[in-house]
Amino acid sequence: MENPTKKPNTRGILDWFDPRGRRVGGWGFILNRLTAIGLTVYLYLHLIMLGKLAQGPEAYDSFIAFAKQPLIMFGEMLVIIGGLYHGLNGVRIALNSFGVGVPAQKQLLYGVLGLTLVGSLIFGLRMFATH
Amino acid sequence: MQNTISQPKAGESYLLWFIKIVTGLLIIVILFIHFLVNHYLAPEGLLSHAEVVAYYRNYPIVPIMEGFFLVFVVSHSLIGTRSILLDLNLKKNIMRVVDALLVTVGLVATGYGIWLLFAVINWGA
Amino acid sequence: MSEEKWTVNFVVYRKKGEGAPHYQTFTLEVSPEEYVIDGVERIWAFHDRSLVFAHACHHSTCGACGMRVNGVEKLTCITRIRDVTSNGGTLRIEPLRNFPVISDLVVDMSRLYVGMDKVHAPAVHPLSMAPLEGEGIKPPREVPMDDGKEYLRLADCIECGLCISACPVAGTAEEYLGPAVLAAAQLQGLGRAPDLTAVVDCVDGVWRCHSAYECTAVCPSSVDPGWRIMDLRRQVLAQRIRRWFGGA
Ligand code: HEM
Ligand code: HEM
Ligand code: SF4
Ligand code: FES
Repeated sequence: MENPTKKPNTRGILDWFDPRGRRVGGWGFILNRLTAIGLTVYLYLHLIMLGKLAQGPEAYDSFIAFAKQPLIMFGEMLVIIGGLYHGLNGVRIALNSFGVGVPAQKQLLYGVLGLTLVGSLIFGLRMFATH
Repeated sequence: MQNTISQPKAGESYLLWFIKIVTGLLIIVILFIHFLVNHYLAPEGLLSHAEVVAYYRNYPIVPIMEGFFLVFVVSHSLIGTRSILLDLNLKKNIMRVVDALLVTVGLVATGYGIWLLFAVINWGA
Repeated sequence: MSEEKWTVNFVVYRKKGEGAPHYQTFTLEVSPEEYVIDGVERIWAFHDRSLVFAHACHHSTCGACGMRVNGVEKLTCITRIRDVTSNGGTLRIEPLRNFPVISDLVVDMSRLYVGMDKVHAPAVHPLSMAPLEGEGIKPPREVPMDDGKEYLRLADCIECGLCISACPVAGTAEEYLGPAVLAAAQLQGLGRAPDLTAVVDCVDGVWRCHSAYECTAVCPSSVDPGWRIMDLRRQVLAQRIRRWFGGA
């Protein structure tokens, strides 16, 4: 070719997350990646925050009291929804990768979404009830 | 671009991917217990300091489980992060720095998490 | 065929040389039963002779006419206008993603062909391998069977590149072999071609796939590359794990 350094026609990372024109499986990938990044950020913040356990009841319990406000609870709910989705979808990908159920990947994804919804409702209602 | 597709490039093999899948499957079980305990069964919605200490002390299996949870979830998240970064086709030397960073984060997080487990178990003792 | 006429706005991606890409709108009167490529050809014939696009066979065999139609990868020679827009509607015509654009709607698909060579499924076979005389014909690969009984029709890749364009990670993972190439490796089978294991069990091989299955959704030739990548993973794992236990 005249110009071997030509870059491919792509918007790079934007194309990972752009759902336009994509189908069910593509949406599954987008959600998986978003939840994965979200959970990873959460994990390390979570570990830092849990450091207050070592500082004793005053430090930790005042933090817990602080956490019981709508915005943070909403965030916790997102973590639960994300965790359920990513975990269940992980089972779907694992099955598929061992050659199981690939032709049914769409139905499996609907199942993952359904279970995520049910699980989130259960945890959400409980959270609502205790506060 | 096309000329660079020449030799199979090492750097990610079945083994890392296999560890990612297996840790993922192990996490889901423990994570579900984790959500149940910390959100569903917690009397006040979230566990207090005293409750966490009691939870760890009353059931010796719990700190062990949390330790495994820690190791699995840290490795899984870092291998996963690496897999996302590999999608960016970074240069080899940049990838080496990334690998060193990921290993460091993993070791620090694991060390810190285990220290924390013992700090909670031994609280007030 | 009916005399029905539709007015359709073709919004066409244009790019020449190092110039910035832009979109140019051509409003055409078309029959909804015509194919998208017919409209593109008419733009070239009657509106702008500088429009560059590719096609050959007009019947989904050559794989040259792949474009993005309203954001979805299509073989434009078998995509009826009725199925992708409406009267007074728009057709956004863009080149395939994840390949360098040569000019307007034509991309450089070397990435795909080089990959095919790497998995011993070259687009062009040497004459010595061509089954001209009917003697000692060795198919270059296993022909897939349906339930182990019937040979599958149309499991052949026409190297159109739609799957690479549809893959969400093939853009950033520039050296990823991609769906068509991994499917070609799977068709041969690692049992029959063990040297392919190293080619697909690496950073640019099966592990770059993140199971979006967009390749299968757009493939016009029933190759089902998504399934083939997953099956190839299974083969790689089986082979590697067997090796743990001292197997061959
Ligand atoms: C939003 C819901 C969550 C709440 C309320 C929560 C709360 C807690 C609490 C109170 C502990 C102390 C031990 C215990 O009670 O089990 C803990 C430990 C832990 N959590 Fe969570 N957690 C949540 C979500 C997560 C998620 C999503 C992850 C994984 C990404 C995670 C990872 C961990 C780990 C690894 C430990 C053990 C830390 C150590 O080494 O001591 N947690 N969590
Ligand atoms: C709950 C059980 C979980 C399961 C079964 C699971 C499973 C998986 C699987 C199969 C993948 C591979 C996806 C792919 O290559 O396309 C993956 C990716 C990933 N996971 Fe998990 N996972 C779980 C929990 C977590 C948690 C708690 C975190 C974060 C703390 C996490 C972080 C990641 C990251 C960063 C990736 C890479 C994402 C990507 O490639 O787009 N996972 N997970
Ligand atoms: S696998 Fe299908 S979409 Fe991909 S190049 Fe071959 S025929 Fe085209
Ligand atoms: S022109 Fe040959 S496949 Fe469309």
